[in-house]
Amino acid sequence: MAKSHMKSPVVGISATDKVFYLLVNTVLVFLFIVIAIPLWSTITLSFRPNHFIGTNFEGMFLAPWNWSGAAYKALLGNNGFIMAFFNSIKIMVYGVASALFLTVPLAYALSIRTLPGRVFFIVIILIPHMFDVGMIPSFLMVKDLGLIDKLAAVYLPTAVSTYNCLIMKGFFEGIPDELKESARIDGASEFTLLLRIILPLSKPIVMSVGLFYAVSFWNDFFHPMLYLNSNNLMPLPILLRNILMASGMNEFVEVSAFGEAPIQAIKAASVFLAAIPMVIAYPFIQRYFAKGTLLGSVKG
Amino acid sequence: MDASVSVPSSGKTLVRRIQRHRAIYILLVIPITYFIIFKYIPIWNGQIAFKNFMPRQGVLGSAWIGFANFVEFFDSFYFWELLRNTVMYSVGKLLISVPLSIMLAIMLYECRITVLRKTVQTLAYLPHFLSWVIMYGILLGLLAPGDGLLNDIAKAFGGRGIDYLTNVRAFPWVVLLSDAWKEMGWGAIIFIAALMAIDPTLFEAAIVEGATAWQRVRYITLPSILPVIIMVVLLRLGTILSGGFNQLYMLYSPSVYSVGDIIDTWVFRGLQEGKFALATAVGLFKGLMGLFLLTFSNRMTRKVSGSSLY
Repeated sequence: MAKSHMKSPVVGISATDKVFYLLVNTVLVFLFIVIAIPLWSTITLSFRPNHFIGTNFEGMFLAPWNWSGAAYKALLGNNGFIMAFFNSIKIMVYGVASALFLTVPLAYALSIRTLPGRVFFIVIILIPHMFDVGMIPSFLMVKDLGLIDKLAAVYLPTAVSTYNCLIMKGFFEGIPDELKESARIDGASEFTLLLRIILPLSKPIVMSVGLFYAVSFWNDFFHPMLYLNSNNLMPLPILLRNILMASGMNEFVEVSAFGEAPIQAIKAASVFLAAIPMVIAYPFIQRYFAKGTLLGSVKG
Repeated sequence: MDASVSVPSSGKTLVRRIQRHRAIYILLVIPITYFIIFKYIPIWNGQIAFKNFMPRQGVLGSAWIGFANFVEFFDSFYFWELLRNTVMYSVGKLLISVPLSIMLAIMLYECRITVLRKTVQTLAYLPHFLSWVIMYGILLGLLAPGDGLLNDIAKAFGGRGIDYLTNVRAFPWVVLLSDAWKEMGWGAIIFIAALMAIDPTLFEAAIVEGATAWQRVRYITLPSILPVIIMVVLLRLGTILSGGFNQLYMLYSPSVYSVGDIIDTWVFRGLQEGKFALATAVGLFKGLMGLFLLTFSNRMTRKVSGSSLY
């Protein structure tokens, strides 16, 4: 991505430049280590066998053939964990569906420069974005709507991100007007235009905004904590928090009788399992933001 | 603004223009209804900041008490503590992670070993996508008092173990550095985008003139991305009263409330304890200050870069 500007043939590099590039490379390697160590120590900790004696530092160098999958076996065999995993998937799927269902038409409508009242509608969506009244007025709203202890309470209040909407609007504005006009002349209605012309052209932006929504729904622990009380609605971040906060054997561990793996391994394994969907989605997300899709389209 | 961008409608009345766009208004019905319910009802509910709110009497039924909730907040001993902590974390994160992001961006841009550059880039963006619950799990493995990695190392060198997450002096650094670790790479993206936009002939000319790599960074790269740096700093100043709820809520505990409690975490505990009206007043205070700061920083951004986010 960051292309080096030193493509032109330079005969010989001066001594000071050599120091410069050596320093750049050394610091980058150092940064790599600093970022990698916490991730690596979590991964190795999750595979720690019960009989391992030694410090965590030594554990990081334990050979993979000595690793134990007991923590994963225990977690994946636990009904509560599986249920939490599927609750999180439900929240993510419903959330992304409703987010796109609301964001796409809104962004498209706001991108039409000839629309009478356009500025009024833009102001309507900007005011709540700029003026945040805080969590309690929203809590009262959700309570009055009767959504407490329903999954909808988690994904509906955050379904539209004004920021994502503006990014999408900027992208729609970049689609040439001639394209829309010629479709209109051919007799296409606005709905056909949106579904048949605009959306196929906007696949990268819809995909990337959708992925960003998916990440935020998957990671959200605040709204489930606020609105969900039932154990059978508990999503993964809340369960993960309960597991992490437990110092030693908590009821979750006791009920499942995890004798096989140390509690630290169970904690680390649940961290890793909760992160897996992000790690899988990551290359796809990276493809979009690396291209500058998002940054380039903000400026309309 | 509306009239200036519209196609000159010779003879067409407003009614005809509205008619022509009726399909668009139909598209807007559901999203705008959504906004009224999920964004404007909360703003309406914000009035309980000025009321003696009783859940049984509802938002409208509760009695007005003027600014009593605000006065109680401003007079309380925790007001300055909350404000200090919140601003400390916002400014601290700005001071640590923005320079780190700029440095990382420049180093990635200058690095000529493709494998190294791509590996560091990929790895550095990743933590941004991990939630603070996951981050807490990772930090536990590093910082736990008994068997965390850092304490293992400290003990190996004859030091004593510290419980970083409950130690009042260590806690702010844990917050600031873990944020830098998580967001440094993500924050670098905008600077990398700015670096890519620099005209390469500038560098070529500088090389011909015999400029060293240091001089190129100092006299071409940095000045070229300065407007973006200013923009990023200004935009972050607009959210100075946020401080990072998710992070603090996951990491803090009663033993570090004195240095870990920010406005948002306090409001959340107010909600849990049923102090609805007082906590709403605090939230509203933060919201109003945020609106003021955001408007200000937007105006400044527009002045500096010629365009703003909104």
